[in-house]
This record gives sequence, structure tokens and C-alpha cells, in this order.
Amino acid sequence: MNIEAVKERAGPREFSPADDLPREYREAATRMIQFHANSEVMGGYLDKEFTRMAPSLDRKLACTAKCQDEIGHAQLLYRAAESLGVKTREQMLDELQAGEGKFLNCFHYPVDSWYEAPMIDFFVDGGAMRRQATLKNTSWEPYAHAMDKVCFEEGFHVKHGEDILRELMRSSKANQERTQAAFDEWWPRILQFFGPTNDESHHDDFAQQVGLKTVSNDELRNSFLNMYVPKAEKYGLEIPEYPRIFERDDGTMAVREEDLDWDEFWTIAKNDYPGSEVQIGSRRDRQEAVAWVRESMDDWEASAGDDGRTPAGAD
Amino acid sequence: MEPAEAELFRLADDELVLAERYTEWQIFAPTPESDLALANIAQDEFGHARLWYDLLEDEFGYDEADLVWERDPDDFVHSTLVELETPEGDWADTVVRGYLYDVAERLRLEALEDSSYAAIADRVAKVQGEEEYHREHAQSWLDRLTASDESRERVQAAVDRLFPHALTLFVPTEHEHDIVEAGVRTRSLAELREDWLDEVVPALESLDVEVPEPGAVVRPEPLGRDGSHTDDWFALHEEFTATYHELGFDEPAELRGENA
Repeated sequence: MNIEAVKERAGPREFSPADDLPREYREAATRMIQFHANSEVMGGYLDKEFTRMAPSLDRKLACTAKCQDEIGHAQLLYRAAESLGVKTREQMLDELQAGEGKFLNCFHYPVDSWYEAPMIDFFVDGGAMRRQATLKNTSWEPYAHAMDKVCFEEGFHVKHGEDILRELMRSSKANQERTQAAFDEWWPRILQFFGPTNDESHHDDFAQQVGLKTVSNDELRNSFLNMYVPKAEKYGLEIPEYPRIFERDDGTMAVREEDLDWDEFWTIAKNDYPGSEVQIGSRRDRQEAVAWVRESMDDWEASAGDDGRTPAGAD
Repeated sequence: MEPAEAELFRLADDELVLAERYTEWQIFAPTPESDLALANIAQDEFGHARLWYDLLEDEFGYDEADLVWERDPDDFVHSTLVELETPEGDWADTVVRGYLYDVAERLRLEALEDSSYAAIADRVAKVQGEEEYHREHAQSWLDRLTASDESRERVQAAVDRLFPHALTLFVPTEHEHDIVEAGVRTRSLAELREDWLDEVVPALESLDVEVPEPGAVVRPEPLGRDGSHTDDWFALHEEFTATYHELGFDEPAELRGENA
């Protein structure tokens, strides 16, 4: 199939490994799904911190379950990306470790307090939900299929984040103020989560033409603002004055993009932000520390493992 | 303290602290598959801790804040085996720790199946079912890691380091006589220790791992069971309770039946 045919046929769940797709499509889809899978892994790094901090046994269980779900999502997504035949999972994990893999801007900022838990688990995940819901209609069928499970589980995550926010905002004045301070810090990052308005994002045009993306950055952000500004206010958070949010003539919400720090955004996009090095470096160090285990597994598979008694429990 | 109460604290504290150490591997495990498996196990252990703490709440009038968040770290009675910090990247430590613990846990649970304390006996089957998977997991990793020389050396180092601490699993307290006498546990710790040695020593030796002579092992100074602990525990305790104290909520949130 040539690229024109792809554009013509493009629609929800239209293409699968049974189709002969041009390299251009397969590379664009790989880039997008790899980014998504990497983001699940790097988002898990933040939730891992929250597991240790969690102030009740039930919260601790919810945090560890969420962290586990994220690794599960990454596993599904790497598989959906692999099915395009461009890169193996191992290559993608190696790239992430080497600092070459790209992932969501919000996961380049280390966290150090529980007040940040709802910023990630409610607002960032809420934003991710907006995007992921539209990806159930992406043209790469294995990706759409992965989204069915991911969206189902993310629904629980967002509820968990909302409950943490509710608890914080109903507690002491000091906790409310610190939650607001965390919100002030995270809000611009969350608005940038959706990326710049369409004309600045050069991958988007193509991704939309071939049905990988079905909704523009601007529409997603609008949908997020419509849903989450009222929720933030409901729990007593004040929306910061800057970046300015406004209502367009057609009733949709938008942000004045000149109020956002795009230099920081593009630095992050290149993995060059100081936090990028912290987050990527902590993963790299840990992965290097367990490299010996992967080697010993390779040995095992090369010898005893091939007698058909590879232990199921060891996965 | 009632004999059942004393036994419940041992059960709950072991599971809680082991789970806390297991979660340190989340996102950091060698592969996504091993990450998911260990996360499952950590959640099971937290679940078991909660189940035993719930019993302490229902039967003995404690609440979660008393049991977990505001209890003095010197009053926790888990074995020192579960509290030790895992050296960075030392997957063998976690596999060996899990194996030594899981075998002991199976034996202990078997000795609680016919507990005279019905509320304990009633809960054993659920816990035992999940622990079986943990043992399979640990065993299959032991098989893998002992298949090559380099990783077997790591297993050996972990056994050398952890074995003395594993023996503290069986250290009795002043309640031991009453626990057995009242039939809360149907086997004594001395008997469980023998059963455990009969199982783990030959199993490890069959994998070419040497096991220290139990009688010759120098017991670690802190015994865990009497509230004395290694520095690793006090650091861990401070870390996981810091946010609780910082927030000062009225009570720890319960989410039963929701997403927990």
C-alpha cells in the first residue's frame, strides 16, 4: 500500500499487521506508540515515590497497584509498537536508558512531596485520559486495542488522584495552601502536556492524515480545560492568573500560548532539561545495576531453559 | 497481651515490612515481566498485613494509626530478615530473602490452620493460596540464578548474609509458651525452625549453594521479635511515616471496596 492509499483508507482500527504498510506510516506509528510506552514507564517513577509516602495502608495499596498498572501498560504498548516491525522492545528500552527515548514533559520533573500526588494522579492522568480516549479510534489496530485496557484502568487512577486531592483540600489550612502551591507550579506544565497549537507541531499533520491521531492538540486541551477547571475549583483550588485561560467566540476554552515557557518545553522535548537527566539517570543507574540478571536469564534460556521447563512463575 | 494478639503482631509486621522492601523494586526490576510479578507479590503481602491488622482492630480494639503510623518503631516485632535494606541491584538478595521467608511462612500458616482462635484459622486459607505463588516465583528464580557461576555466587553471598537473619523468624518471645498452650499455633517455633531447616538446607545444597551450619551461626544482635532492630529498620520506618506526620490528617484514609 502506498501512502496515498493509507490516507484514503485511514479510519479507526483500519490497519493491522496483516496490511502491507509503507515505512513512513510504520515509523510514525512507532514514534507515537514508543513515546506513549516510555511515558508509562517514566510516569511510574513518580508513582513509585508516592507509594513510599502514602499516608494510609489503603493509599499505599492503591499507589503500588497504579505503579504496576503503568508497567503493564508499557508492556502492552511496547508490544503494539513492536508489531509495526520497526523496532524491538529491547531497542526501545535501550533508547530510553540511553536518554534517546522521548516521553511526556510532565515526567521530566522529579517529585518530592505528597502534595504533588494529585497533580500527577489527577490532573496529568486526567489529561492523559482525554488523549487516550481518542486513541481508541487510532488507525493502528493493536494500538487501539491496547487503549481499551489502558483506558479502563486509567479510570481508576484518576479517581484515586481525585480522592487524594479531595482529602488534602478538606484537611488543614496549611495542607490546602501547600496543595495550591503545588498546583501553581504544575498547572503550566499540565497545559503544555498537550503540546503547542497545531501549526507548531510538525508530526501532527501527517499523524492525523493517516488516522493515527484523530483529534488535534488544541481540541484535547479544550476538552481538558472544560472538564478540569471546574473540578479544580470544586475542590477549592484557584486557577493561576497566568497562563491566561480564555473562552473563544465558539465557547471553547483556550490558553494564551505566549504565557507558557516554550523554551523549557522544547528543552524537555530534547531530554536536555536538568530534571530529564535526574529521571533518565535514575532509571539508567538502576537498569545497569540489574544488567547481570538479564545476562543470567539469557544464559538460562540458552541452556536449561530450552528443555521446555522454563518456570512460569519466574515471569 | 493475649496470645492471639501477640501472634497477630508477628504475622502482620512481617508482611508489612517485607512488602515495603519489595515495592522498592517497582519500575527498577530487571524486566517488565519481573517487575509485574514482584509488584503482585508486594500487593499480596500488603493485603495480608492489612488482613491481620484488621483482625487486631476488630478483636483487640486498635486502629490503623496505632498499629502502623504512630506505633513506636521499637514496638514492631517483625524478623530482621524482612527489614534489611537491599543492596542496589541485588536481585539475588530479594530472591533469597523471598525464598527463606516464603518457606517459613508456609510452615507457620500450616500451624495456624487449626488454630484455636477461629478468626485466625478462618483467614489462613486465603493467605496460603497466595503464598503458594510467591514460593513458586522464588523457587523458579533460584533455579535460574544458580544455573550460572556468576549469578550463583551472588545467591551464595545473599545466603551468607541473610541466613542468620532468617533464623530470627523463629525467635520466641515471652508469649511463646502461651501461644502454643492456648493452641493459637499448633506447632512451637522450635518445631517450625526444625521443619524449615529440613526443607531449605537440602534444597539450597541441591543447587550447589552452601548453607551455614545453623548451630554455628552467630546470631545478629538485634532479634527483631523483641523490638530490637537493625538501623535499616529505623531509617525505613522514618521514611514511610514521614508524610503521615507531615499531613496530620485526622485518620488514615480507608478505601475498602473502592480501588484498593
